Amino acid sequence: MTQTSLKARMLEAFRKRMLVFIIGVSSIFAILALQLFNLQLIHGKEYRLKATMNMENNIPIPAPRGEIYDRHFQKGVSGTVLVSNRPSFNITTIPETFKSDAELMEVLTRLSTIVEIVPADVFAEIKKSNPWERFLLKDDVTFDVVEKVASHKNAFPNIHWEDAPVRVYNYGDLFAHTIGYTGSLNKDEYNSLKSQGYKYYQSIGKAGVEKQYDSQLRGEDGFIRRTVDVNNRTENEEVGQTPFGGNNIVLTIDYEIQQAAFTALGENYGTVIVLKPSTGEVIAMVSKPGYDPNAIISKDNSIIIRDLNADPKKPFLNRSIQSRYPPASTFKIVTAIAALETEKTYADKTYYCPGKYTLQGYVDHDFYCFKPHGTLDLYWAIGKSCSVYFYNLGMSVGPSMIMKYAGYLGLNEITGIDIPGEISGFVPSQRWKLKTFGQPWFDGDTINMSIGQGFLAVTPIEIANMLCGIVNNGIVYKPYLVKQIFSPDNRTVISETKKEKLREIPLSPATLNTIKQGMRYSVQGGTSQWLNHFKVPICGKTGTAQTRSNRKENVSQHAWFLGFAPFGEQTDDAIVVTVFIEYGQWGAVAAVPVAEKIFGKLIQQGYFKSQEKEIILRK
Amino acid sequence: MFNKDFFNKMDVVLIGAVFLAVIFGILMIYSAGFDPAVAVNKGLYKKQIIWFMIGIIFMFAMSIVNYRALGDYALYIYGFFIFILLITTAFGRPIRGTSAWLSFGFISIQPSEFMKLSVVIVLAKYLELRERDIKNFRELLVPSLVTFIPVLIILKQPDFGTAAIFIPVLFTMLFLGGADVSHLISIILIAVIALVFPMLLTYWEWAGYKGGNFIVQMFVHVDVLFTVAGVLLLIAIASFITHYFLNKSFLRKIYIPATVVSLGLFLSVVIQNWFKVYQKKRILVFLNPDLDPHGSGYNIIQSKVAIGSGGFFGKGFLQGTQTQLGFLPEKTSDFVFAVVAEELGFIGAIFLLLILGVIIYRGIQIAMETRDKFGAMLAIGIISILFYHILINIGMVIGIMPVTGLPLSFFSYGGSNLFMIMMGIGILNNIKMSRSSY
Repeated sequence: MTQTSLKARMLEAFRKRMLVFIIGVSSIFAILALQLFNLQLIHGKEYRLKATMNMENNIPIPAPRGEIYDRHFQKGVSGTVLVSNRPSFNITTIPETFKSDAELMEVLTRLSTIVEIVPADVFAEIKKSNPWERFLLKDDVTFDVVEKVASHKNAFPNIHWEDAPVRVYNYGDLFAHTIGYTGSLNKDEYNSLKSQGYKYYQSIGKAGVEKQYDSQLRGEDGFIRRTVDVNNRTENEEVGQTPFGGNNIVLTIDYEIQQAAFTALGENYGTVIVLKPSTGEVIAMVSKPGYDPNAIISKDNSIIIRDLNADPKKPFLNRSIQSRYPPASTFKIVTAIAALETEKTYADKTYYCPGKYTLQGYVDHDFYCFKPHGTLDLYWAIGKSCSVYFYNLGMSVGPSMIMKYAGYLGLNEITGIDIPGEISGFVPSQRWKLKTFGQPWFDGDTINMSIGQGFLAVTPIEIANMLCGIVNNGIVYKPYLVKQIFSPDNRTVISETKKEKLREIPLSPATLNTIKQGMRYSVQGGTSQWLNHFKVPICGKTGTAQTRSNRKENVSQHAWFLGFAPFGEQTDDAIVVTVFIEYGQWGAVAAVPVAEKIFGKLIQQGYFKSQEKEIILRK
Repeated sequence: MFNKDFFNKMDVVLIGAVFLAVIFGILMIYSAGFDPAVAVNKGLYKKQIIWFMIGIIFMFAMSIVNYRALGDYALYIYGFFIFILLITTAFGRPIRGTSAWLSFGFISIQPSEFMKLSVVIVLAKYLELRERDIKNFRELLVPSLVTFIPVLIILKQPDFGTAAIFIPVLFTMLFLGGADVSHLISIILIAVIALVFPMLLTYWEWAGYKGGNFIVQMFVHVDVLFTVAGVLLLIAIASFITHYFLNKSFLRKIYIPATVVSLGLFLSVVIQNWFKVYQKKRILVFLNPDLDPHGSGYNIIQSKVAIGSGGFFGKGFLQGTQTQLGFLPEKTSDFVFAVVAEELGFIGAIFLLLILGVIIYRGIQIAMETRDKFGAMLAIGIISILFYHILINIGMVIGIMPVTGLPLSFFSYGGSNLFMIMMGIGILNNIKMSRSSY
């Protein structure tokens, strides 16, 4: 072995290892290039979006939310503005733009003469915040203040203002449950709605029409496109999009009737629903107790909302659609319809009412009427609300048929009214009772059900809509609150709600006439006589519901009144009025006077003009 | 000296590529230093031009002095820089928590940069001297010592990134210098075994992981670990002695792995017991920056956004939003590559890689063509320094390597690294020119 051959072998080994090194270096360069390819070409779009998000910090320009009017709205002519927006402004500044703390303090002091701020406190707050970021000095200031700031630019350097319209509910709690209120998006709402373009800082309808029609009312916020650097310092500002106001809404509700119903209910808890059977329009809908939406949207609302939520009277509950009660004697209409339609009875059939009904069995059980009525036919049994008559009727029809007709009349399904949160009533069944109580259906249950007691529970809107069906000869429309939607400038009608048939109940004209006649007797000589003094013929039916909980001494009964006008041939003018008063004692005592005031207002407002003419003509 | 012959012999491609790279870098530093709000440049690029001028002088100086003299004075150079490094670490004014700079008023020098070159020179000389014996395991001791002395000093500064780069450079030089591959692999294995278990334990403890794995449980008990390591060591010694007398080659297959595992376990006991928890955590964060999302994690996210948003053609010079609006951190120094990728796009970034590739390619050529062992090793060391800077820096910026504050040679703002690497280029040029004088 010579020296050179060793050297040659070593050189050979070196060459081999160099090759490994070269391959290693090349692979690393290839990996770097591949990752660049991956970042820049494959994922380039995502990163471009992220870069844009980094540099754009847009300032929203809030869109004015749509206004809400009552049914008589005509542009510039009449109608009542129920909800509007009040112009309001935020005064802001960017602290860094001041040359010195002294100058900032000086401007703040000057500002405190026209705006309610404490310069020292504000100054301390500013020092804690990012100096490049917009700082809110004072919100909700009037246009006067803005005018002063704008006209004295030298005195107020670097002070800016922003539009921040505030929603105003012009009639406070009068429309609380129907129109609802707005509020900031909560986490769940934001997560489910962000795909629809909702932003976390926006407000959203939280109840009633505000919630249901939020997409119409909200409009589209504009924004100022603001390019910022890493310290959120503004590099560039331009208007990115001007705001586009929300659409205005015309309700079916008549302000006058709503006000009358509200006043008539007084301090009672309960609800009034006034419907137009020929279309399903809601003329009035009041639920008490209520709340003031203005308080809920005010700045310091947390305590108010907490107190309202904790209130045992449940002021947030819209009793018209979110609460179930025993229908009591108003249900006698259902029993009567079931008996007539199944031909188990006829209108002239009489029963004798001695004041009680004895159900025979192993042990006899007495069911009472509120007073002995003597001999009655079906008309007067409805008119006088005789329970014994209906015990007999119920026993002859049987529970299954009553349940079936209650179902036909829509008492166990929601009406589909266009505000959120409606619940459905409850009509029991034999199977349900067996499953729930492990007991079969007793005759006593049938007797209870035939006068609307026992397990039955209905919402006021359901029973009101049931009467609409009867008045309308079996055709039931879906009740609705929003009549028209206008463009922001009220020049064009964007949509108009058309009446929507919910169902058609095949009831014979004879049955319908019997029920209407019976309800007419109720006004003429029965439990609703308070309403007899009007020229327009009114029909009614009272109800007094026993409740299981004795919440108030002596008053453990709810009062119902269900009525319509005018009596006679079905007309498009007919109006159904439903009154429900929690713990109202007797329907005849508590609910009828409320209905009386509402009918009075309806007549005064000309709802039955054609009937009045007829009456005059007849005279 | 600078006669016609000099310009004929020098590596025009290499020098040209270096000039292109540095001028490219200065342009990017100009862009990164631009403040659009006030339309004023911070002026770092002017300083970088001055560093470049000085760098050119260093480069040509290194091209002229016979590089073999560097080998002759290797130990003096090494000793001198160790001394400077010690002074810096002990007395240097800390900048951002690191005592790595020696300040001379208008200029601050980072001696650890020059330490890289001195270590490479010593290693190259040593590998030349022990060319025949390097296959012996004990010959690896001196190169390791030469490397680890400055590494330990730099760790004390503390400057993890700079310290870390010495290790791959050492291994590359040993590998290409002819060391036994099994020795190198053994060392790497020992280090891996020593680190894996303490790190895993620290990580699990940190993340609140309660594992029932008995192997892991075993490492919690130090005595068990110690016993296992001891037994393995005894086996290794026994088989080594047997091998010494009987010379049965299969015994090699016993005592080498046994020694490796045993040493690894001993070291892991040392790390587990002697290192404080925060020190182990620091190593963990170095290995996986995601563990500290508020620290280095943010930088990497912004850097990836800058690079990704650049797309194919980039946003244009001075038009990078991430760069110009300040979202990209350290944009003139460690993250200058992201500026290139954002403003000049995929094309620009690939062009940058090409320039660096050409420089490395020329370096490899010089190393392979020179007949002189010292020259070849020296060239390899210099290329390694440059290559690992590229790998660690760009790898970090594009998010595939741990975050370490290493500059991208030729591009990042800063004098020391530029002087060092240009001196290295000068030496490469020198090796190439001397070749023809053989």
